[in-house]
Amino acid sequence: MPRWGMVIDLDKCTGCQACSTACKSENNVPYGSPDDQRRRRDIYWNKVIAATSGTYPRVNTEIISMPCMHCDHAPCVTVCPAKATYRREDGIIVQDFRRCIGCKYCIVACPYGARSFNSREQKEEQYLRPDLPPDRNVWGQWPFPTRTHGVVEKCTFCFHRIDRGMKEGKKIGKEVVPACVEDCPAEARKFGDLDDNNSEVSRLLSSRAWIRLREELDTKCKVFYLLK
Amino acid sequence: MKNRKVRSSNETEQNRVKLNRRTFLKLSIFAGAAIGANQMGKPGAHSASPLEKTSRRALEERWTATSCLNCPARCGIRVRVVNGKAVKITGNPNSLVSEGKICPRAHVGLQVLYDPGRILSPSKRGNREKGREIDPKWIPISWDQALSELTQRLKSLRDVAQPHKLLLFSGLNTVSSEDVIARFADAFGTPNIISGNGLDIETEKSGNWMADGHYTGTAYDLDHTNYILAFGADILESSRPLSRFLRKWGRLRREKPNRTKVVVINPRYSLTAAKSDEWVPIQPGTDAALALAMGNVIISENLYDTDFVNRWTTGFDSYKKLVLREYSPVAVSRITGIPSEVIQRIAREFAQTRPGLALRGRESINRPEGSYISYAIFCLNALVGSIDIPGGVIYQENPKYREMPHRVVDDIARRAKDHPRIDLRGTDKFPAAEVVTNQIPESVLEGIPYPVEMAIGFNSNFNMFAPGTERWDKALKKLPFYVHISPFISEMALYADLVLPSTTYLEEWGYDHSPPGSGFAEARIKQPVVKPLGNSKSVTDIVFEISKRLGGGPAQSFANVGDQSEGFVKFRTETLMPWKEFLEKGAWVGKEYEYKQYGRIFHTPSKKFEFYSGNLKSLNSKMRKGAEKDIDCLPNYKEPKFLGEKEKYPLILLPYQPLLVVENGSQNYPWAQEIFLPMDGVGWETLVEINSETAKILNLRDGQAVWVESPSQKIKAKVKFSEGVHPEVVVIPSGQGHYSYGKWQKGIGVNPNEIIGVDYDTISGQAAFFNTRVKVYRA
Amino acid sequence: MGLTFSRIEGNSRNFKILLILLAGFTVIGFICFMVSYISGHHVLGSSSIIPWGLPITITIYLIGLSAGSLILSALTYVFGKEEYRPIARLAVYLAIILIFGAMIGIALDLGRPEKSWRLFMFFVLNNMRSMFALNGILYGGYFLIGIIYLGTIFADKHEFIKMMGKIAIGWAALVHMGTGAIFGFIATRPIFYSPIKPFEFLSAAMVSGLALLIIVVAATFKFTKRNLNKEIIFSLSRLLRVLIIVLAVMVLVDKLTHLYPPDREPTIWLLTGPYSWIFWLLQVGLAYVLPLVILFHPQYRQTFKGVMVAAFSVVIGIFGERFSLVIPGTAYPLPFYPGKIEGIWGMAGSFPITPIEFFMSLGIFTLMGLLFLVGLQNLELLPVDEIEQQTSEVAKKA
Repeated sequence: MPRWGMVIDLDKCTGCQACSTACKSENNVPYGSPDDQRRRRDIYWNKVIAATSGTYPRVNTEIISMPCMHCDHAPCVTVCPAKATYRREDGIIVQDFRRCIGCKYCIVACPYGARSFNSREQKEEQYLRPDLPPDRNVWGQWPFPTRTHGVVEKCTFCFHRIDRGMKEGKKIGKEVVPACVEDCPAEARKFGDLDDNNSEVSRLLSSRAWIRLREELDTKCKVFYLLK
Repeated sequence: MKNRKVRSSNETEQNRVKLNRRTFLKLSIFAGAAIGANQMGKPGAHSASPLEKTSRRALEERWTATSCLNCPARCGIRVRVVNGKAVKITGNPNSLVSEGKICPRAHVGLQVLYDPGRILSPSKRGNREKGREIDPKWIPISWDQALSELTQRLKSLRDVAQPHKLLLFSGLNTVSSEDVIARFADAFGTPNIISGNGLDIETEKSGNWMADGHYTGTAYDLDHTNYILAFGADILESSRPLSRFLRKWGRLRREKPNRTKVVVINPRYSLTAAKSDEWVPIQPGTDAALALAMGNVIISENLYDTDFVNRWTTGFDSYKKLVLREYSPVAVSRITGIPSEVIQRIAREFAQTRPGLALRGRESINRPEGSYISYAIFCLNALVGSIDIPGGVIYQENPKYREMPHRVVDDIARRAKDHPRIDLRGTDKFPAAEVVTNQIPESVLEGIPYPVEMAIGFNSNFNMFAPGTERWDKALKKLPFYVHISPFISEMALYADLVLPSTTYLEEWGYDHSPPGSGFAEARIKQPVVKPLGNSKSVTDIVFEISKRLGGGPAQSFANVGDQSEGFVKFRTETLMPWKEFLEKGAWVGKEYEYKQYGRIFHTPSKKFEFYSGNLKSLNSKMRKGAEKDIDCLPNYKEPKFLGEKEKYPLILLPYQPLLVVENGSQNYPWAQEIFLPMDGVGWETLVEINSETAKILNLRDGQAVWVESPSQKIKAKVKFSEGVHPEVVVIPSGQGHYSYGKWQKGIGVNPNEIIGVDYDTISGQAAFFNTRVKVYRA
Repeated sequence: MGLTFSRIEGNSRNFKILLILLAGFTVIGFICFMVSYISGHHVLGSSSIIPWGLPITITIYLIGLSAGSLILSALTYVFGKEEYRPIARLAVYLAIILIFGAMIGIALDLGRPEKSWRLFMFFVLNNMRSMFALNGILYGGYFLIGIIYLGTIFADKHEFIKMMGKIAIGWAALVHMGTGAIFGFIATRPIFYSPIKPFEFLSAAMVSGLALLIIVVAATFKFTKRNLNKEIIFSLSRLLRVLIIVLAVMVLVDKLTHLYPPDREPTIWLLTGPYSWIFWLLQVGLAYVLPLVILFHPQYRQTFKGVMVAAFSVVIGIFGERFSLVIPGTAYPLPFYPGKIEGIWGMAGSFPITPIEFFMSLGIFTLMGLLFLVGLQNLELLPVDEIEQQTSEVAKKA
C-alpha cells in the first residue's frame, strides 16, 4: 500500500502562491469577502504564511506553503466523533462531507490550522465546476461541488486525481499529482509514495535536511519541508 | 427537533405522569426514526464509494490550448472546458518559454472570464457630465449603432484632413491586436499610438540601447547562471515573463550542481529578497553608484573578463578611468549606505562566480536618472563577459510572422504622418523615447502640439496606473469624444462617451509572443475556449469592422490579411507551422538560441559593446545641447532628484507591484484579492509599510490609519511596522484603489499612483515612479 | 417521614405571564436557530479560528450544572441526609432539564444539526476514541438514568432509589469528567491541555450545580409560597464554600503549570491579554473571591441575602470560567513556524457576540425555564407542609 506524502522545497519555492490558487480552482473552494477574511471565516485549503524574525537590516521572512499535513497520527482523526475524517489505507486523511456533522472538534484539534469551517451558503453561480455532480442528493465522499455550509473542509491531496490515476494505471508522483504540485511553477513541490525507495520524495528526503512543522507535537505528518 | 408540547388535559395525575413520560419517549423515537429515514431515503445514499460519477448528465469535456493575458508575459495555457464552461487553467507543456508552467494570475483567468461586472453590450453615455464620482448612466445600444457613430466621427476627422488628431491608447492587448491597431493607425493616418510601455520599464531599454544598440528589453539565459545580482528587480513578483523566472528559479536553486546565489539590492525587503541569499538595503536612487563602485573593484582587482572586454567592447578606457577615479567603494558607501566591505565582497563574488548576471528592475531605474542607472548596471554584465554566453545576457528572437501586404496609405494619411507625435517623443524633450505615456495629460490639457479630437482606448487604464492620476482624469474629461474598448467599465471608461465590450483573452483569436526573456522565439496561439459572452467582440474584430466601414485606405489595408480575427491569425501564423497543428499544440517554438554571435548582435555605431555610448553621443549632438561632456556618454551616477523638499517630506515613496496585480485594468477577482500581500499575510487592502524605528519617531501606532501626503496629493491607509524597509522609505503596494465597478475591488485599498508626482527620465520618456517624497502622519 | 409532594396549581397571573414570556423567547431563539441553520454559521460569532462559540460554552456550563445538581440530590437518597429531602426531587428534575438543555445546546452548535443522530451511533458509526463520541454515550445514558432515577423516586421504591442514586452519582461524575476530557486531551491548545481538566470540570460542576440549586430552591419555594427551612440553604452554603476552595486550588494549579514552559504564551495571553477581564473579573472575581469573602464573613454568611448574592455570583462566575476557557483557549494563533507570523494567520481571533447567537443562547435558557415550570405544574416535585396545606385549602375556599 503506498503511503502518500509531499515534499516542499523552501529553497525552490518562490512564494508566488500559485499552489493556493490552483487548489482553489481545482477543488472549487469558495472564496470569501474582505469581511470574511477579517473574521477568519473564509476557506483556505492551502495557505501560505510568512514568518518574520530579526530587525532591520538583518531581517528574515520565511514564506511557507501549508496544505493539510495528512498526519499519520492525526489529532483530527482521533477526535472526530462521526468518523467523517479518517485515515485511508494509503495515508490520505479523508474528509467525508456526508458524514460531517459540523461539530468543529477537528478544527480545535488540528495543530496546523489546515481545516476551515464552511459557514456560508454559497450561491450557485459562484461555483465553477459543472463537471462535478451538481446534485446535493448525490451523497458520496467526493465530489461535492456545491458543498453545503456547516461542514468542515480541508485539503484532500486531490485524491480524486490519485484514485483515478491508480485506476488507469498511471504513475502517481510523475504523471498524476495533486493540483498544487502540478501547478507550482518552480517545481518546488513533489508528491509520491514515502515507502517507495525509488520515488522522488524518498530521494529528496534522503539527500537534503528536512523538517516537519511542529515536530514537538509528534503528529508524524507527511508533508516535509526542505530548508533553504 | 424535539419539541415538547404543554399538555393541559383533565386526566388524572397518574395518567398524566405516565403519558408525559411515554409520550416523550415515543416522540423522540419517532423523531429519530423520521430523521434517519429522511437521510437514508435519499437516492444514491448507499453508493458511498469514492469516485463513481453518479451524475446523470453527459459530460462534454475538452482541453483547449491558448495563451494568457493577465500580464504582458502572455504565457501558454491549456483550459479545460466542461459543458461549455471553463473550469480549470493549467500550463501548456508545449510552451518552452515557461516550460509549461504558469503563475497564479493565470488561474485567476477563470474569474476574469466570468467576472460578474463585465459589460456585454455596447453602451452610450447618458450623463453628459464626466467625473470620478459621476454615474455615466450607460444606455445599451446595438453594435451597428455604436460602430456607425464611431466610424462617422472617424470619417469626419479624415474629411477635414486631420486624422492625426485621433489618439489611440493601447493597454494590455494581444500582439495580434497590437499589430492590427498599428496597421489601422498607419492606414487611417495617425501617428499617435500610446502604449503603456512608458509606464513600464523603458529605462531598461534605453540603458541597453546605450550599451549594445538594442532598444528592447533584456533577455537572460537563466538556465546556466551562477550568480544573480538583482538591482531593484522583483524577479519573483513582477519580472517579465514571470512564469519563466519562477520556473528558472526552481531550476537555478536546486536542479543544477552549482546552486545559483541570488543577491537583492533594494530599499525594501521584497518577496524576492526573502527568498534570495542576501538582501542589501540601499539608499533609494543610488544604484548607479553601487554598480560603478563594483566596476571599480572588479577592474582594480583585475577580475574582469579581459578577453571579452578587449575584443568586443569600446570605451573601456574611459570607463576604467571614471570608475577608478570617482567610484571607490569608500566614497560610494557614503552615498549608498552600504559598507564598503560589503561592496567589495559582492563585487568579487559577482566577478568570480561566472557566469553572473546583473539584473535591473523598476525600483532602481524608474526615476529621472534611470537611463544612466540602467546603463551602469548593464555594463557590469559586459565587465564579466556575460554577453551572449550561456548564463548571460542574450538577444531575443521574435517569431517571423508572414509579412502583411503593404498597407494602403492614401494622401490624407501620408501627410498626417508628418505631424509631431502627441507624446512629444523624438522632440528635444524626449529625444530617444519610443513612447512617453505620461506626457499625454499635459499634451491634451494644453493642446500641444495640437488638440486631440478623438481618442480610442483599447484595454487601457492609464488613469489608474500612471503617476499623477488626477491630471489624467482632467485630460480624459477634456477629450471631445472618447471611445473605450474593454470587457468591463474600468476607471478610464468612466470618461468614455461610447463603450464597446471587448472579449477577454479566453474568448478571442490572436497570436502572441512574450516580451524579451527566452532568447529563442516562440509564438503562441490564442483561440476562443468558450463562445464570447454576451455581445462582446474581440479587439481585432472591432478594428477590422471599423476599417471596413471606413472604406478607402483603411479598408484596403485590411482586405488581404485574412477575414476577421481568425483569418488574420491564420494568415500571419500559417508560415510558422500548419494551422491545425498550431491550434492543437498552442505554441510554435523557434530554433535553439545560438550564443556568441558577437559579429551581429551589437547594433551600436562601433558594432561592439560600448562603455562609452556612441548612440548617446549622436543623440547629444543631435539635440545640440551645447558642449557635449564626455561624462554624459559614460555610465555615471547623478545625484537622485526627488519631488518635494526633504525637510517637509522626509520619507521617500516606494510603490511596488505585488505579483497578484492582474494587469488588465481590473482587480475584481476574489482569488487574487484574498492573497494579495503574501509577505504581510493579508489580502483585500493596501498597507503602508514603514521601518519600525522611523514609525516610532513619527509617533505612530501599528495598524492605525495614516495619511501619506506628497506635494501633490494625499491618501489614507493602514500603517504596518516592518523590519524590512529602509528607514527613509515608505512602501505602498499598487494595484488597489479601484473605484469604477466591482464588488470585489471598488473602494478597497488605495492607489499610490495618485500621490506620485510627475517626472521623467527624459532620454527614454519613462515616467518616474520612485522619486516622490512624502510625509506620513496619523489620520 | 410524612413528607408529601405536590404539583403547583399554576393559576396565578404571574405564572401565566412568566410562561408566555419564556415561550416567547424560546420561539425567538428557535427562529434565530433557523436563520443560522439556513444561512450558515456566518451569522454567529464563531469562525475558523474560534470554532466554538456561545452554544458550546453554554452546553458545558449546563452539563456542569446538571451533574452538580444530580450529585447533590444523592446527598439525600444515597447518603441519607434527611434535611435535604424537601429539595431532592427538585434537584433531580433540575438535573434532567439541564442535561436536556445541554443536548439542545450541542445540536445548536453543530454545523449540520439534522445529522446529530450520528452522535448516538455508538460503536457502529462512531469513532469511539473521540471524547465527543464517548461523551455521547455518557450524556445519552445520563439523560436516561436521570429519567429512570426520577421515576423510581416517584414510584417510591427505596431500594431502587438507592441503587439508581449510586449509579447516578457515578455516572454524573463521569459525565462531567468526560466533558473536561474533551478539552483536556487536546494538545494543540495549550490552555486546554492538562490532565487536571476532568477534575477541574467536576469540581466546577459541583460548585455551580450547588449554587444553582440554592438559587432555584429559594426562588421556587418563595414564588410558590412554600415554607423553606432556611437551615437547608445555610448548610448548603457551607458545603459551597468548601467546594469553591477546592475548585480555586485546582484552577490555580492548572494555570501555574501552564505558566511554565513550554507553550506559555497562550496562558500569558489569557491572563494579560484582551480577554483577561473574563478570567480575572468573572472567573476569579465572581466565582471565587466574592463568594468566599461573603461566605467566610462572620456577618454576611449568616444572612439569607448574603448567601443568595454569593450563589448568584458563583453561577455567573462559573459561566465566565467556561467562557474564558473556550474562547481565549482557541483564539490564540497557532505557532506554525518560529518567528512572527504575519497577517491574519498570526492574529488572535476575535469573538463578537452577534444578536442571533445571543438570542439563540437565550432561547436555550428560556426553554429550560419553560420545561421547569411545566414540570412543576405537572409533576409532584415540591414538598407540601401541613401549614401550607391548610392555607391552600383556605385559599381555595376563598
